[in-house]
Amino acid sequence: MIQKKVCMLGTSGVGKTSLVAQFVHSMFSDKYLTTVGVKIDKKSVQVNGTEVTLVIWDLAGDDDFQRLQTSYLRGTSGYLLVADGTRRVTLDQVVELQKRVAETLGATPFVLALNKADLAPQWEVDEARISALADNFTVIKTSAKEGAGVEEAFAHLARRMTPPA
Amino acid sequence: MRSSPRDPLDDLDELRRLLIRPEQDELRELHDRLDDKEQRAHEIAAVLPEAVTLSRDRSEELTRALQPAVEGSVRESIDKRPQVLIDALHPIIGSVVRRSIAENLRALLQTLNQSLEQSFSWQGLKWRFEALRTGRSFAEVVMLRSLVYRVEQIFLIHRETSLSLLHVSADAAAAQDSDMVAGMLSAIQDFAHDSFKTGKDERLEEFRVGELQVWIAPGAHAYLAAVIRGNPPRELRTCLEEAIESVHILRGSALAKFDGDAAEFESLRPELEPCLRAQYQPKKTATNHNRAWLMIAIGAGMIVAALLVGARSERRWQDFVRRLNSAPGIAVTQAQKGWIFRSRVAGLRDPAVADPAALARAAGVNPDRLRFEWKDYLALDNASVLRRFEKRFGKPAGADLRLTNGTLVISGAAPYEWLTRVERDGAQSPGITSISEHNLSVTYNPALVLTRFRRAFPPPPGVTAKVENGTLLLSGTAPYEWLAPVREGAPKLPGIGKISEEHLKVAYDAKLVLQRFSDRFNLPDTVNASVQDGVLILSGEAPHGWLTRARRGAPTIPGINSIDERKLTDLDQRAFQQSTSVIESAFVYFLFNKDNFATEGFAALSRLPDEIRRCQTAANRLGLEIQIEVRGYADAVGSEAKNADLSRRRAEAVRDFLVKCGFEPSLLKPMGMGAPPPVKTPTPEQSDRRVALKVVPKS
Repeated sequence: MIQKKVCMLGTSGVGKTSLVAQFVHSMFSDKYLTTVGVKIDKKSVQVNGTEVTLVIWDLAGDDDFQRLQTSYLRGTSGYLLVADGTRRVTLDQVVELQKRVAETLGATPFVLALNKADLAPQWEVDEARISALADNFTVIKTSAKEGAGVEEAFAHLARRMTPPA
Repeated sequence: MRSSPRDPLDDLDELRRLLIRPEQDELRELHDRLDDKEQRAHEIAAVLPEAVTLSRDRSEELTRALQPAVEGSVRESIDKRPQVLIDALHPIIGSVVRRSIAENLRALLQTLNQSLEQSFSWQGLKWRFEALRTGRSFAEVVMLRSLVYRVEQIFLIHRETSLSLLHVSADAAAAQDSDMVAGMLSAIQDFAHDSFKTGKDERLEEFRVGELQVWIAPGAHAYLAAVIRGNPPRELRTCLEEAIESVHILRGSALAKFDGDAAEFESLRPELEPCLRAQYQPKKTATNHNRAWLMIAIGAGMIVAALLVGARSERRWQDFVRRLNSAPGIAVTQAQKGWIFRSRVAGLRDPAVADPAALARAAGVNPDRLRFEWKDYLALDNASVLRRFEKRFGKPAGADLRLTNGTLVISGAAPYEWLTRVERDGAQSPGITSISEHNLSVTYNPALVLTRFRRAFPPPPGVTAKVENGTLLLSGTAPYEWLAPVREGAPKLPGIGKISEEHLKVAYDAKLVLQRFSDRFNLPDTVNASVQDGVLILSGEAPHGWLTRARRGAPTIPGINSIDERKLTDLDQRAFQQSTSVIESAFVYFLFNKDNFATEGFAALSRLPDEIRRCQTAANRLGLEIQIEVRGYADAVGSEAKNADLSRRRAEAVRDFLVKCGFEPSLLKPMGMGAPPPVKTPTPEQSDRRVALKVVPKS
């Protein structure tokens, strides 16, 4: 059994916690996020017939109220960036965040989840912007509410992290 | 600078050769030595024992490093040539097994002691109460209270990725999700480190949560986190540090290259498990051993007691079954002693005869612990027949019953009522054909005797009846009519031998008395009778015969004490007197100096026969035997002798006449009276020439 540490990154309110809430095995309360700044969950995915356990570090949002504790990033095998499709600013922030993280971690697999796909009409992020990002980012639209794309995002990240057999 | 056209390079070589030739040779030699495996092996062999000794003295590293190789060798040896090891171990295997058994027994005794301590001590009870109160399990309370410390879990956590590499737990059931716990432990460490800006190598070493504390033993690539309950000693930290050190020695490179596959660290488990230490409160082992021995002694005592009780119970059971079988009216076909469940007895039983429960009690067996399964039958052996009879009729205290060929012989003393019942119904009891009595005295209950008497003769008001010693004592005033049948019938009642009327006054009803008298004596119409105060008053006229009977019989009639017959005339007496008077006043006159009847004499003579007959009848009725003196007289004329003769002849003449009339001569006694004595008043002479009759009792 392979274990991998992954981090969930993104500004407050983009739905990081919601994104994993229904798909993971959890034993800690959400209040850890506001106290310790991280909440750890677990999710198993299959990659090329091997079971990979993702130990998911859901990090508190990086904003004016709470700085991202970069020490939590140490040793992560990959990370999931999360932005809110209905708020363009969150995408900008997460792109900036990615640069900072890359400085800390070096080249590390990651996936960008554009959340709240269920609220498509209210989206401020258009396809053009997404296409522009596609050079540097793997973008997957997700809906924490309806579950769309969530499994795919984790599976994709897991594949990226696991060297082909 | 250059003095010759020599190639400077050559000079340089020359110089090098001059300067470092010896070193080069040495180097070559060293090189050759290193390349030559054989030589190197020889060299290492020379120093190896010393090196091993040194290494062992310095630390455990060599031991740990050699462990996998040695283990592998041994395993391979067992797989391929087991005989070698078997031969090697054979001399010691016996003592090893003995020691192992001794150790295990000691541990068992220890456990037993602990259990006893916990189960039977005051402390144990306290803990049970606490468990009840707090809702914890008893085992948990015992552990918490007797625990100094216990290492419950150890996590081996990869420092870089914060992933759990290995998790060992003292309690297999308490395995948590070690991945997440490991991650959170790391996060907390990072959080503490970052939040309080500690130095680079200063990490969180321990933290406490209630009764639990977490100790962290850091290592270069991984660290140990031990979850400990209670207050561990400092030595534990040394143990943890040695463990993490050992982990790094064994798998240091693997830790450095860790890429998510924790399976390869499973082999480190033996390194961590020694740190799962626990320490409990010291025990007073001496007393505990005593306690254990005491408990064992008590246990043995209880077993012996149970065996004794069992043997006694079995003996009683056998005795009971024997009694049952020998008891009349019971035939046991099956008897099973139940040690836990109820014992069972099956067979035939005569319900009227046998009482198995009573037999059980007599044999000391609790009837409640028995289950009887009887089929009813009629037992006809003498004892059963007698018992059935006694159950139905009872057996009087003084009576003796015997059964001979179906005949029940009763002797001794028995109450009348019981006997009556037995005589009536006894022969209906199965097995009894007849009943006989032998030297039997019947006893009577005075109360029952009195009851029977009262039922037969309800006493009228004013009469009190009692029974004493077979005598009916009557007192008060009783009408004769009630008393008469009592006198007749009471002595026939069982239990009444005689009647005492000492204190009884009898009351007579005059009318009824008279009625009785009339009925008995056929009261003639000419008689009037009445009864007053016991006196029968008769008036009128009655024939003498009746009167005689009445006189004799009346006093025997109850209620008549005496007879007053002053106003009663005896008809026959009167007739007799009248006849006698007529006869004695009838003079038969004769002719002068002759024995011939004078004319005047005929009248009287003709009346005489009838009158005499009448007189005879009356006398007969009165029971008198009479004789009639026929007295002949003569007048004073003539001589005395002549007159005597004449008077005799005259009397005979009358006698002859009367004989002729049919009277017995013996009735008539002719007497010559001669001349009658002179009388004062002179009577006619002729009156002296006569015959007069006189009625006298027959002489």
